[in-house]
Amino acid sequence: MRALYTAATGMVAQEMSVQIISNNIANMQTTAYKKQRAEFSDLMYQSLRRAGANSSNQGNRLPVGLDIGAGVKTTGTPRVMTQGNLLPTGKDLDVAIRGEGFFRVLMPDGRTAYTRAGSFETDDQGRLVTPEGYLVDPSITFPQNASNIQISQQGEVSVLLPGQSQNTVLGQIQLARFVNKVGLQSIGDNLYLETDASGTAQISNPGVDGMGNLLQNQLEASNVSAVTEISDLITAQRAYSMNAKVVSAADDMLQSTVQMLR
Amino acid sequence: MQNALYVSLSKQVTLRREMDVIANNLANMDTNGFKANDVTFEEYLSSKARIAHPSPADQRVSYVRESGSTTDFSEGSLQQTGGTLDLAIRGEGFFVVETPQGDRYTRNGAFTMNEKGELVNMQGYRVRGQNGPIQFDQQDSNITFSREGTITAINGIQNQVIERAKLNIVRFNNQNALVRESNGLYAAPGQTAQPATEKTSVTQGTLEKSNVRPIIEMSRMLEVMRAYQSLSSMMTNTDDLRKTAINKLADTTS
Repeated sequence: MRALYTAATGMVAQEMSVQIISNNIANMQTTAYKKQRAEFSDLMYQSLRRAGANSSNQGNRLPVGLDIGAGVKTTGTPRVMTQGNLLPTGKDLDVAIRGEGFFRVLMPDGRTAYTRAGSFETDDQGRLVTPEGYLVDPSITFPQNASNIQISQQGEVSVLLPGQSQNTVLGQIQLARFVNKVGLQSIGDNLYLETDASGTAQISNPGVDGMGNLLQNQLEASNVSAVTEISDLITAQRAYSMNAKVVSAADDMLQSTVQMLR
Repeated sequence: MQNALYVSLSKQVTLRREMDVIANNLANMDTNGFKANDVTFEEYLSSKARIAHPSPADQRVSYVRESGSTTDFSEGSLQQTGGTLDLAIRGEGFFVVETPQGDRYTRNGAFTMNEKGELVNMQGYRVRGQNGPIQFDQQDSNITFSREGTITAINGIQNQVIERAKLNIVRFNNQNALVRESNGLYAAPGQTAQPATEKTSVTQGTLEKSNVRPIIEMSRMLEVMRAYQSLSSMMTNTDDLRKTAINKLADTTS
């Protein structure tokens, strides 16, 4: 009975859907988290009769075929890269991006990763780092006695040094942009890696080339909407139980066949 | 007497087929761009008694068999995703993708980009524009699809709006003759694609959900199941009848 296996593929797909929704909900408060969605597609069809085949020797053709599908599969889990809300935090080193860009982060293994989570800190040497301690690229070092940290919309970092009345420019934060940011590979810790699908990073200062502006004292919230996720969860749950019902209905049919043999 | 068994059997075979189709519809109720499938049945008359092979029955018995599967091409509901490359077609029409087997047609507009900056679907097949594949530049941002399918982007270097391509949206005179393949793709053997009419439009940032109506499928499923069970019990009863007949009529003990 093919229906049994077809319904099983449906149950597997909905299980995947619930898994993704639960990860989205778990990351609802994660800075700059971008939600994922499951993308499904149908499996192959078995053609029992093919449309256009001859139905008589006089050249009549079948107007429709007889195709039976074999179920569903998950083809991908693309991220939805829309802008999250901006939350004021009041912390000097919290920076949000309003626009397309990503911060560049130097990984311990030498690779460059990209992130939108701008909750930065300084390490023991005064360098600007992510909460995991990875260096922000290009590197910016704060002197011990610096105060009044200012990060402009265009990414210019300046501080007030003792004995001076004007801010001194320390460096420039640069952003990267991708032609297809959905193609980035996520590696956890809010970090993404460049892939063939994302295209190579285009590096530029904030505020130009559609990079987006920087906003100091703010963080980008996740773009997960609780209402959408819960309604998606209900849909997935119902879809799962409907597929389970198909399994039991197919089983009932088989059982009634078996009961004919007495 | 045998006829009752065979007629029931022919119906049971088609019911199983219908169950398979319902299972596939329900499994794909969350597949973007999926169109619900249905099976149609027809009566099949047993052949007339001929002189060469005289049949004992003087009345023709009708059986049932499936005549084909039809696709419900009605529009599915639209879901907002906010994705730049998520497209939905409103009205009649299909996107064209290039597969190794030739052009295929789909309603699923969940697209992405490959390493060359070409617009591809989730299987990596290139989406066809009116002048071949749709190519973006690495510097492009703010990609916009108009209602008519014209694709514009803001190019970083020149910082101006550039028209990149136009989507090729096609329609068919006979949609029912399209052949389903996997991954939401359709083949069109023996038909040429016509350009879509003005009523068809493209919406960016949305996807077309599956048009499977779960309630209908569930009630169809119950109907199929009950019909199958009642046929089973009918076959059992027929069998009982025959058993009793053999026992009563052929009782040789007295």
